Amino acid sequence: MVRDITLGQYFPGESWVHRLDPRTKIIVSLTYIVALFILHTFIGFAFATVVLIAAIAISKVPPKFILRGLKPIFLIIIFTFVLNLFMYPGDVLWHLGFLKITEQGLYKAVFLAVRLVLLIIGSSMLTLTTRPISLTDGIESLLKPAAKVGVPAHELAMMMTIALRFIPTLLEETDKIMKAQQARGADFETGNILNRAKNLIPILVPLFISAFRIAQDMAMAMEARCYRGGEHRTRMNAMHYGKSDALVFVLTALFVGLCVLERMYI
Amino acid sequence: MSIQVKNINHVYNKGLPDETAALVDISFEIIDGEFVGIIGHTGSGKSTLLQHLNGLLKPDDGQIIVGDTDITASGASMLEIRRKVGLVFQYPEYQLFEETVAADVAFGPKNLGLTQEEIDDRVRTAIELVGLDYDDIKDKSPFDLSGGQKRRVAIAGVIAMRPEVLILDEPTAGLDPQAHQDVLSMVRKIHEGDTSIIILVSHNMNDIAQLSDRVLVMDEGRMVMNGTPKEVFSRGDELEAMGLDLPDVTCLMRDLRSRGLNVPTDIFTEYEAEQAICKVIKGQEEKA
Amino acid sequence: MKFRTKYLIQAAVIAAVYAVLTVILSPISYGPIQLRVSEALTILPAFTPAAVPGLFLGCLIANLMSPVGIIDIVCGSAASLAAAYCSYRLRNKPLLVPLPPVIANGVIIGLELHFLYTPEMPLPACMGWVALGELGACYAIGYPLYKLLEHYREIFR
Repeated sequence: MVRDITLGQYFPGESWVHRLDPRTKIIVSLTYIVALFILHTFIGFAFATVVLIAAIAISKVPPKFILRGLKPIFLIIIFTFVLNLFMYPGDVLWHLGFLKITEQGLYKAVFLAVRLVLLIIGSSMLTLTTRPISLTDGIESLLKPAAKVGVPAHELAMMMTIALRFIPTLLEETDKIMKAQQARGADFETGNILNRAKNLIPILVPLFISAFRIAQDMAMAMEARCYRGGEHRTRMNAMHYGKSDALVFVLTALFVGLCVLERMYI
Repeated sequence: MSIQVKNINHVYNKGLPDETAALVDISFEIIDGEFVGIIGHTGSGKSTLLQHLNGLLKPDDGQIIVGDTDITASGASMLEIRRKVGLVFQYPEYQLFEETVAADVAFGPKNLGLTQEEIDDRVRTAIELVGLDYDDIKDKSPFDLSGGQKRRVAIAGVIAMRPEVLILDEPTAGLDPQAHQDVLSMVRKIHEGDTSIIILVSHNMNDIAQLSDRVLVMDEGRMVMNGTPKEVFSRGDELEAMGLDLPDVTCLMRDLRSRGLNVPTDIFTEYEAEQAICKVIKGQEEKA
Repeated sequence: MKFRTKYLIQAAVIAAVYAVLTVILSPISYGPIQLRVSEALTILPAFTPAAVPGLFLGCLIANLMSPVGIIDIVCGSAASLAAAYCSYRLRNKPLLVPLPPVIANGVIIGLELHFLYTPEMPLPACMGWVALGELGACYAIGYPLYKLLEHYREIFR
């Protein structure tokens, strides 16, 4: 069961998008998300959709893969849609007893649902085309200015890198522990929420102890290799801004400009 | 009690790019009272097979019948299966979690829904069976114990469920020679008790040769040999080709033979080796 | 062992455990109907200050691992950070330790839910809804976990 979880969202590839600097992708993704909140009509959303489709096409990530990632939240989107559908006041279109659907409600529900989908796919583009380690490097670099105000950018980035490295190991440990407890009759599948929660203790405690044991060993190994903290550490794969990044920034600025215009005039 | 495995297959990650066949068409039978050893290189599917025997994994096709229950049928009670078939994983001490040894060993019996009296009784019996002093250790924290003690507590936790089949995955891994022998004696003792079938997975061929009535050899997801230790270990070349060792004693005999001493090589215990060598030397003395 | 490296590793481990627990128990870990068992870990700041960055990063990484999580990244992680810090300050009052995440997540995620998913649901309702889920994870699982881990304080030193 645990083995089947695809860690994170990264889809390997060498497309133009994959090769952009991670910092560019982070900034552009955040900008896209903000833009989606600036837009306020379906025309605007159509525009944003076209841009998104273009990005997906260039990244060469198979749409099937993206849609597979959407499966778990499909229910949430439906749930949100239905909730909004029935809660908005206005000109009634249909009613059954005290349930009513209004014109405004329908509009709002579709609007919110579409925005949600665009948000999710848009932000997925970041994780689909960027390795977690590159993301960490990118975040660390972008946070460097904050270091002047006391944010320990390097430490945080280091913690994140190590955590990422730990995760597959811990997943295996968790699997082993779960199976060992199940072999002793533990049941994680049936029972109400409270019951199932209590049954997690036999997993959490050994997991913790294992995790910290591994951590001790790792800390010792790092020190034995002269790790002293990050002031002047260099990187094996240095990040570079290139011409593609510049182009992307320009296009993004254009996109945002158009979104603002949409807000003002449409 | 018997175990019948009929043509099971198990594939990991079906449909994904890293699809692998972990078990391919495995069939075998274990009868009441047998001590079965399973050997195979890492990745041959041993662990996967073990997890099928107590229902942790379900095969893609095929059947597994434990006692008179088909555990692969839908609706089979997992709790009942796990009571009958106890599985001790590698490095089982990493599953300890309770505040006291007694509480941890009681975890299994508690899950079986027994009365407090029954539980206490089983805990006491199990702890003594693994060679620890009940009164001394019952209130200690499992994390204050030595590695060897922790392992015994973990094994006690499984034995407390009184399984009819006990599966042990490398129970002596990481132990010093004394602890190693202690665990093996413990396993022998358990076999003499209520547990009628023992399945031992190990890389230690000496242990396998000494203890097993039958040996199953796994290679790349398939079961390639199924016979007595004598039968299996006589096929030394095939075993070596699979990356497996022979018992030390057998290696010694083969070595001696290749250097000209006329000794038989189908020897798997020290006693037989001693006898055979003495015989040959006496023979030579008589000639001379 | 130098203080610095230990702190670093502890934080990393906590982040990793949080992420693993969240990912394993998805899909209930994401979206507007969230029951993150990993939130039980919010009692950790009572044991080590490394849990403050640890939980923050854990939340960040967990959110990175799911398409729904990504929109949650800024708000979710910020909420975790604020909560962890407050829990750390309250570490001498065990019963209050699980409270900051309930409040922080309730407020911040509640705001997020209201504006993002269901603007028609009144803000207090959104907040209350999230707070309820947090209450379950933090007190029902977290507090017993706290009591258990109290016996094993040495692993944090």
